[in-house]
Amino acid sequence: MNRLSPTPTILSLLPALALIPVIGVVVTNVHDGGRLLLVEFVGAALQPSLDPVVVQSAWHGLQITVATALFSWAISSFLGILLGLASASVVWQTCVGQSWPAIVIRRFLAIPRAIHELLWGLLLLQILGLSPWVAILAIIIPYTALVARVVSDQLDTQDRRALIALQQSGSKPFPVLITALGPKMGPVLISYIGYRLECALRGATLLGVFGMGGLGIDIQLAFRSLDFQELWTPLWMLAGVMFSLEQILSWFRSHLRSSKNAIKQMIITVALMIILTLISVPWLNAVDIDLSESVSWNAFPWPTVAELKIAFNTLPWIQLVSSTIMVTLLAAGIAIGIPPMGMMLWPSRVGIGVQSYIWALLRLIPTPISALLLLLFSQTSLAVAALALGAHNLGVMGRLLKEGLDEQSNSGWQSLRASGSGTQTAWLYGCFSGQSPSYLAYAAYRTDVILRETVVVGWVGGTGLGWQLIESLGSFNWAQVALLTIVFATLTLIGETLSDQCRQHWLGPSKVRPMILDLQS
Amino acid sequence: MFPQKCRALGVTALITSIGLVACSNEARQTLNVGAIPDQNPEKLNRLYKLLSSELNRELNVPIRYKPVTNYAAAVSAFRTGSLDLVWFGGLTGVQARLQKPGAQVLAQRDFDANFHSVFIANKASRLGQIKNINGLKILQGKRFTFGSESSTSGRLMPQYFLYQAGVELNDFAGQHPGFSGSHDATIALVQSNSFEAGALNEKVWISAIKNGRADPKKVKVIWRSPPYADYHWLAQPNLDHRFGSGFTLRLQNALLNLNNQSSSQRKILALFGASRFIPASIDQYSKIEKVGRELGKIQ
Repeated sequence: MNRLSPTPTILSLLPALALIPVIGVVVTNVHDGGRLLLVEFVGAALQPSLDPVVVQSAWHGLQITVATALFSWAISSFLGILLGLASASVVWQTCVGQSWPAIVIRRFLAIPRAIHELLWGLLLLQILGLSPWVAILAIIIPYTALVARVVSDQLDTQDRRALIALQQSGSKPFPVLITALGPKMGPVLISYIGYRLECALRGATLLGVFGMGGLGIDIQLAFRSLDFQELWTPLWMLAGVMFSLEQILSWFRSHLRSSKNAIKQMIITVALMIILTLISVPWLNAVDIDLSESVSWNAFPWPTVAELKIAFNTLPWIQLVSSTIMVTLLAAGIAIGIPPMGMMLWPSRVGIGVQSYIWALLRLIPTPISALLLLLFSQTSLAVAALALGAHNLGVMGRLLKEGLDEQSNSGWQSLRASGSGTQTAWLYGCFSGQSPSYLAYAAYRTDVILRETVVVGWVGGTGLGWQLIESLGSFNWAQVALLTIVFATLTLIGETLSDQCRQHWLGPSKVRPMILDLQS
Repeated sequence: MFPQKCRALGVTALITSIGLVACSNEARQTLNVGAIPDQNPEKLNRLYKLLSSELNRELNVPIRYKPVTNYAAAVSAFRTGSLDLVWFGGLTGVQARLQKPGAQVLAQRDFDANFHSVFIANKASRLGQIKNINGLKILQGKRFTFGSESSTSGRLMPQYFLYQAGVELNDFAGQHPGFSGSHDATIALVQSNSFEAGALNEKVWISAIKNGRADPKKVKVIWRSPPYADYHWLAQPNLDHRFGSGFTLRLQNALLNLNNQSSSQRKILALFGASRFIPASIDQYSKIEKVGRELGKIQ
C-alpha cells in the first residue's frame, strides 16, 4: 500500500513557513526610529577603528580566542569520537549483541548538550575559580556531547549489509567494525570535525566572559557602549580568521578526496589535530594564559530541598516553557527552511555566491547584536527574539547545505535541465533532493542548539527559560538554576526522541541511508 | 615516527595534567584586580594598565588585571577568591560581600554616595515630567526597559522606586519590561521609540547628552530618582594575612590618595569620571541590601 508521506525534500522547505508569522509580527510593529543608528552601524563596518590601542587589544584577543578554540576543539573532537563510538547501537550490537547500553549513554549525553556554554562556564567557575580551564571546559563539555551524537547517528544509519556479512563469516567484532564502517565514516568525520573548529571559534569568543580575555571581551564591551567603530575592528578580524579557516578546510577536504586511502586520511587528520593541540598550548602561554596556573577548589553552593520546593512553586513554568518552545520552533523554522528556499529561488552561481556571503555575515554577527539592531526597528516581541536567533543559525545551516551540495555530483541537475525543466525544479529535484535527508538530520541537531541558545536572546522579550536562567544566575538562586537546567535537559531529551522517531517514521530505515555519504555537517 | 608521536602525546598529557592538578603558591603573591565594566567600558578595560602600575608602584606587589564582563561571574570570582580587589556596582558589591563574609568596602568615587538613576522617555510617548515618586504610575501600560538585569542604577533601584509607586513588573505593555543589557542600549532603544521609556545611570545619561549620543529632540528625562549609594571598591578579607599586616589599609590609602597632580593619576580618575576617591563603609549599602532582598536579587 502506498501511503502519502512527505518527502525529505518538501520537509526541509516546510519550516520556512515560520517566517510568515514572524515577519508579520515584526512588520506590524515596525518603526524607523533606529535608522540613524543602523546607518552608523553599517558606516562603522566600512570604517572600523584603527586606533592602535583598539587594534592591539583586538589582535591580542584574537590570538587568545584562536588558541583556546584550537585546544578545546581538538580535545572535544577526540573525546566526542570516543563517546560517539560508545553510544552507537551498532558498536554494542556487534561487540556484545545488545544495544541498550548505547541508548542509555546516548540519552545521558543529552544533559551536557542541553546546557549552554555560558552556564557551564558559570557553574565551573563556582568550583574552579577564575581559571583558563573554566572557559576551555565550558566549550569542551557540550561540544564533546554534540560530536558524540553526530558520530553515533552516522554509525547507526550506515548500511549494515557488509557488516552482517563479515560477522557471519566469523570474524572478530573489532576488525569487523573497522572494515565495514571505517572507510565510509572517514570522510564524513573529517568533514564534520573540520566544521566544529569554526563552532569552537565562535564559542571561544563568547567565553571571554571568564577573565580569560579574548576577542569576545572587545566585542562585548564595544557593543555595550554602542561604539560601532570599535566593534567592527574585532569583528573584521574574526571574519578574516573564519574566512581563511573555511578556505583551508575546503582545500584540505579536496586534497583528502584525491587520495582514496581512508586509513591514510584518518592518520593525516589525527596527526594534524595533535600538532595543532601542541601548537595551541605554547601559543596560549605566549599570550599570557597559563594553563598550569593554580586552580582553587571550592565547594559548590548546593541548594537545599526546601529551596528547591520554593523555586518550583514560584516560577511560572507553563509560560516559561511555552514561550521558549515557541521561540525555538520559530527560530528553527527560519534557520532550516530559508537556506534551501533561497537557493531554490536563486540557484545561479551569482545567486549562491551572494547568499553564502550573507550567511557568513549572519554567522559573524553575534546574536545579541543582531537582536538589538532588529529591536531598533521593531517593538519588542518573541518574534524579534526568534528572528535574531533564527538568522544566526540560518548562516550555519546555509553553509552546511552548500558544502554538502558542493561535494555531490552535478549530474542530476544537468540531466533535468537538459530534459527541459526549469531552473527551480531542476535545483530542487536535481541538486537538493540528494542532500535533503542529511540536511534534515542536521536540522534536528541545530534545533537542539537553538533551544540552548535561547539563553542568549532571552533579554529581548524578558521572558522564557533562557531569560529566567540569566535572572536566577544574577540573583544566585541556585535552586532555580538547578530546576531550570533540569527543564532544559528534559526538553532536549524530548526533542531528541521526537526527532529520532520522526526520522524513523517519515524516512524509514532504508531511506535514511544516503545521509551518511552526504552529510557534511 | 611512532615514538615521536608517543612523546608528543605524552607531553600534551603532561601539560594538561599539570594544569588540572598543580597547586602552587605563586598566584597568591599577585594582587588580582577586577572590575565590572559599566561606564566607558572599553577604555576602562584597555587603560586599566595605568591603575595596575600605579598600585604596583605604591604597594610594591605585582598586580594583574582580569577582565570579567559578566556580573554573576565577577561576584563568583570574588567568592572563590580569584579576585582580590574588585570595582563593583552597588548590588553586585553587596552580593559579593554576603557570599564572602568579612570582605572590606574600601572606597567609592566622590559622587557614589549620592548616586541617581534617571527615567527617560521618548518625546513621541507624550509622557510628561513626573513630580514625585507616585507619578511613576503613568508608566503603567507603557513599553518600558531596564538596562542590565544586575545593574543597580539601571534595574534594582528603578524597580524599587516603581514598586513604591505601585507599579509591578507585569504592569508594563506586554506584561513584562525589557532588559536592554546596558545603559547606552537603553538610551538607543528609547530614542528609537522601540520602548517608550527606560531607566538608567544618570552619569551615563549626562555623558550621552554631552557627546551627542542622546538627542534632546527625541528623548528627555522625566524623573530623577532620590539618591542611593552605588559603586565601590571591595577587597578580600584576608589581604593582610597574605600580603603582610596593614596591607588593606595601604591599599585603601593608595586609592584614596589618587589625585589630579600626577598625569597618570589624573588619567585614572578621568577614566572613572571622578575627581577623587573617598572612604566608603558597609552601612551605606544596607538600603541596597534590603531592596535586593525585597526584589529577590539577594537570597
